[in-house]
Amino acid sequence: MTAVSVRKVSKAFNVGKSNQVDALHEVSLDVKPGEFVSLIGPSGCGKSTLLRLVANLLEPTAGEVMVNGKSAVKARLDQDYGMAFQQAGLFDWRTVRKNIELPLELKGWDKGNRQTRAAEMLQLVQLPEFADHYPWQLSGGMQQRIAIARALAAHPPLLLMDEPFGALDEMTREYMQGELLRICAATGTTVVFVTHSIPEAVYLSNRVVVMSPRPGRITKIVDVSLGGERTEDTRNRTAFFEAITTVREGLRGMHAAHVGLGNDDR
Amino acid sequence: MNKAVNLVGKALPAIVFGALFFGFWEWAVRFFELKPYFLTAPSSIWGEFITNFSFIRRAATVSGTNALIGLVAGTVLGVAMSFGLSRFRFLNQIVTPLAVALNAVPIFVLVAVLNNMYSITSEIPRRVMVTLVVYFIVLVNVARGLTQVSPTHVEIMRSYAASDLAILRKVRIPNALPFLFVSLKIAAPAAVITAFVSEYFGGSQNGLGSRISSNIANSKNAVAWAYVLSACLLGLMFYLFSVLMESLNRKGEVK
Repeated sequence: MTAVSVRKVSKAFNVGKSNQVDALHEVSLDVKPGEFVSLIGPSGCGKSTLLRLVANLLEPTAGEVMVNGKSAVKARLDQDYGMAFQQAGLFDWRTVRKNIELPLELKGWDKGNRQTRAAEMLQLVQLPEFADHYPWQLSGGMQQRIAIARALAAHPPLLLMDEPFGALDEMTREYMQGELLRICAATGTTVVFVTHSIPEAVYLSNRVVVMSPRPGRITKIVDVSLGGERTEDTRNRTAFFEAITTVREGLRGMHAAHVGLGNDDR
Repeated sequence: MNKAVNLVGKALPAIVFGALFFGFWEWAVRFFELKPYFLTAPSSIWGEFITNFSFIRRAATVSGTNALIGLVAGTVLGVAMSFGLSRFRFLNQIVTPLAVALNAVPIFVLVAVLNNMYSITSEIPRRVMVTLVVYFIVLVNVARGLTQVSPTHVEIMRSYAASDLAILRKVRIPNALPFLFVSLKIAAPAAVITAFVSEYFGGSQNGLGSRISSNIANSKNAVAWAYVLSACLLGLMFYLFSVLMESLNRKGEVK
């Protein structure tokens, strides 16, 4: 069984109107359980749209999305995935602990179990001493770790992330990438990760999906052969740079083609 | 201890300025020998305030009760209606522009019309007027708080398969609470002002507003000023109450 299965999915906005936008055109993608897959591409290539289709926050115009062998709707209703965004999206009126408990509250867990799980999650993201703080008392990186703890609180098998580290500075970003890999290894979570950053995509992923705009489609899938264990040292290895080059070529080839085609889009 | 010192330090410039202001006022009246009908000295206003205190208190109770009843009724109705607005988009599109426009005009003059609907001694027109003024202030602000929630918050809730009711309870209402307290801070002084001013449009001569105008008419300027002082105090009381409410709400957040 695949963790995520996208079959010939198209998504258009404003269908039938003069301002119709074809965000995705016949996209197919399979993600295996435990795999880390990044979606990369320029603005407007539909990577966030694809993520939202998997999350069932949007409905496809055509095609089929399956998550955990169920329809995307069923998977959402069963809370089969957790989600994290560029904004941590924590609730300022709730303490850190209460923020992490939110998905469990919605699942109807009782107070005792919620507290136990929240404590576990805080341990996992290594911020147990901040349980009773409020989100605005934390740094951006800490807030994002709490957001990840919240997304994983109900132990969903799948984590969907939309540029979660996009608003962080470079150092915090690299630290967070290491943390994310450690957390996912500890929990065995499958991840679909949207990003703008080539090194970030390569460092984190088993596979990098390169996408292109108008209409959004997959142009290339790069297998990253860096092995399971990734450390700070990984960033200095030849294989790391080779993978970066391959992804960049994928993106650039498309860019060149785009420029060559002329200004048909603007 | 430190906190108290800090508070005094913050309040000191205002206190010194206030003292200087009243000092100058008193001095100017004495030095230029200003006639009482032109400007009354603070000392004689204070004297009249003490002498007439029981009358002033009675009048303040009448106006204060009108303001309070209107404030409570307007807040309850405004909050209730804002839920309706946030639930039904078309209602929002119809009512919000109207409410915003009404907030910008002195609608309390409507009390003259309301007076015609009830008996001459009735307090109801004044209370209805205060209710209306408060209602629109609360409505506009709370509806904004209920609808202007972070899109990320809504997406997160939907990703957890949260129902509309759960989103209302866990996102929209907590988001709207600060808006409610801000609107109360605007509405509380507005309620008092409306209660006074509506007394100028007839009805029983029992509140602070009507006492001020009748004392002015009888050239009892110092007494009129004493009622003005009481009106200021009543307005301040309402404002401080709304600030206190807000700080109680914040207490949970600030550590």
